[in-house]
Amino acid sequence: MAESLDQHILKNGMVLLGEPMEAVESAAFGFMLPAGAAQLPDGCCGAGAVICDWIFRGAGDKNSRQLSDALDGLGLHRASSVNSSHITIGAALEAGNLAEAINLYADIILRASLKDDQFELARQLAIDGVHALDDDPRQKVMLKVREQFYPSPLGRSALGEIDELQTLTAEKTKQIIKNNFNLSQTIFTVAGKYDFDSIVAQMENLFETKPQKPLEAIKLVSKASKYEHLHNEGAQVHIGLMTETVKPVDEEYYNARVAVSVLSGGMSARLFTEVREKRGLCYAIGASYHTLKEAAGIMCYAGTTPEKSQETLDVIMAEFDRLSEGISKEEVERAKVGLKSLLILQSESSSSRAGGIGSDYYILGRVRSLEEIKNKIEATSDDSVLGFLRKNKFGDFTVVTIGPKQIRVQEHKS
Amino acid sequence: MEFKKKKLTNGLAIIGEVNKSAKSAAVGFFVKTGSRDEGKQINGVSHFLEHMLFKGTERLSAFEVNEAFDRTGAQFNAFTSEENTVFYAAVLPEYLVEVTGLWIELMRPALRDEDFDIEKNVIKEEIAMYKDLPSYDVLDRCRSLHFDRHPCGNSILGGEESVSNLRAEQMRDYFTNRYAPNNMVLACAGNFDWDQICSIAQARCSNWQKQAASRKLKDYAGSKKKSRVEKSNLAREHICLISPGVSAQDPRRFAASLLGTIIGDHVGSRFFWGLVDKALAEAATMLFGSMDGTGAFYSYIRCSSENVGKVLDTIRDIFRSLSESGVSEDELRTAKNKILSALVIKNELPMGRLVDLGFNWIYLKEHRTVEDDISDIRAVTVEDVNSLIEKYNPGDFTQLSIGPVQSS
Repeated sequence: MAESLDQHILKNGMVLLGEPMEAVESAAFGFMLPAGAAQLPDGCCGAGAVICDWIFRGAGDKNSRQLSDALDGLGLHRASSVNSSHITIGAALEAGNLAEAINLYADIILRASLKDDQFELARQLAIDGVHALDDDPRQKVMLKVREQFYPSPLGRSALGEIDELQTLTAEKTKQIIKNNFNLSQTIFTVAGKYDFDSIVAQMENLFETKPQKPLEAIKLVSKASKYEHLHNEGAQVHIGLMTETVKPVDEEYYNARVAVSVLSGGMSARLFTEVREKRGLCYAIGASYHTLKEAAGIMCYAGTTPEKSQETLDVIMAEFDRLSEGISKEEVERAKVGLKSLLILQSESSSSRAGGIGSDYYILGRVRSLEEIKNKIEATSDDSVLGFLRKNKFGDFTVVTIGPKQIRVQEHKS
Repeated sequence: MEFKKKKLTNGLAIIGEVNKSAKSAAVGFFVKTGSRDEGKQINGVSHFLEHMLFKGTERLSAFEVNEAFDRTGAQFNAFTSEENTVFYAAVLPEYLVEVTGLWIELMRPALRDEDFDIEKNVIKEEIAMYKDLPSYDVLDRCRSLHFDRHPCGNSILGGEESVSNLRAEQMRDYFTNRYAPNNMVLACAGNFDWDQICSIAQARCSNWQKQAASRKLKDYAGSKKKSRVEKSNLAREHICLISPGVSAQDPRRFAASLLGTIIGDHVGSRFFWGLVDKALAEAATMLFGSMDGTGAFYSYIRCSSENVGKVLDTIRDIFRSLSESGVSEDELRTAKNKILSALVIKNELPMGRLVDLGFNWIYLKEHRTVEDDISDIRAVTVEDVNSLIEKYNPGDFTQLSIGPVQSS
């Protein structure tokens, strides 16, 4: 999604994408390295979280402290994340410091010190991060439902598993960095205020290498949908739910997006109205579209006190089913306006744009223009959305709950 | 960027910062009321009222309100703090007038009994949700411990009991006193037409009745008490520390903010190098929060039960070294870079700009440009920060922890 797009591919295959933005003094950039959770060898779940920490503990000729001071000295706001496909490291900063920041990131990616003593600290923090998840049932339930829903290994937790983190070694992790920081499959994105010609020259200088062999394709194993309950003596039952839908490459993609918005786009959408406004069952309730390159789903969360948890799940599932029974023109219009407006509001943030062009390129192999997306949203109608829903009835639901009470998941008839 | 202001005869302040090159616009009502303005009996009423404003007016039902917002594609919501209730929306410029009109209408809500009863359930669910978020729960409890009998210690959400016992009538009384035009600011930022916004406000808000809405302003140094709460379902120790700081009206607030960053930014701070880098704590941050007439430094640390002793010793050492040797030029320079770039990035979005614009008017009755803030931050010296440390001694804090049951 871009109003105008800069694009260049280095000889080794590394992709450089840029979206210039008027009227901003900031820039945001990100390196998408093909080292996401699903790309890791078996038995190393959580290595991504360790890597994200370890590579910042010294690089090039700088030790951990000097590197951190250099990054902070540029006033940059670091953003590191691990998802199913990539480790993304990047930052938002004042545009004047962009070139210097990219030099530091080249050191971090290509010349991290990777000292053994620092590995132990990074690994301990990753283990602590998994323990801390036990005290955040809302986040945990969504990680668990994704793990259950997506074919293995796509849904692997980016935070990791304690037992696998405990056996992870510095050697094994170095090997992962060597294999998976594959420049030929890396996407670099920048948005905001920048000069693309000088970025290309700088990147050629820093990252031009011989082409690297592509990573082996991952083998997917599908999972049967099921219900899992994790007991926790908390105040609420946290419900996570997912069901399959079409991917962004599908021609029905925009109908699916509008359908999800009718269900949970704004405060007048169905879930908010039925679950919260009419029945007072929840404070937090919502569904959203979630996609990977290989599969996509509609993801729903609700948190509710134990005595209301069964009714909450029943009402949510009934709303999913009721969707294909009929949708009004007004509901579709509101969903469309909401999607279009969000698109434009997000286009004002350089961080959001740098992320958006990268994921478009990875998932679709190209970056969609703002105009294209607007037109495709505009082209949907109540008929097209209903047609889509009737052809693609919701299949089984994967449900995970965390809390003091287990609930029943009705056998779903598709 | 052009600043505009107007005051209606009933005291409603209307302010705007017009930026014709923005792709969006943001609008908000800033109401100077929050949990500190509540008596114990009605604790939670400000936050409950924030919910009730979405429940409609004599003309609109709750569903019609939600529909009306969604028709514009607005990203809209509201939040309540100890001392402010803010209603806001970010929209495409062509919808700003419509959304502003809607907010104006909602500022005179119906507050119907039947909506009140249903929404009470939603509020109780929200209270339960935050109980399951120990990082929030610990802050809420520590704030009460720190502020003790000072009203800033009141819980924002209120307790299960005070919310259960609250009556719609009490809420209506509170509303009449607190949502008075002289206690509110209407602010806009981004790409919009100032004259149009002014004339709507003039036409539709002028009949709102002025009230004697006041607030007790008292600074408070904090109780410095220490306490621990056990919860059987927790895996980690969550520690909150609060020490006193300067108010939102105090020019030293920029130095205080820099001190918070030096001690507890999530990377590269004293807490980071002493606790997180060494894997003693998985999270350790400090933030400075200024309020009306008072202020505080809030720290949050998350670690394993085994590490609590070492973590607290390290924190003691960090504060001791700060009071003995102060901060360095390098630390201050780095903290300035971080705060300045965050400020610039945030203010590039009309929604980000709206928040600063509104709060500056609430606290200072003053328009400050982003450049004003930048130059005040740049002007802070090591001596300014060190004299704050001396005066407020962040090492002398109130402490509350929530963690698993101890086996001993």
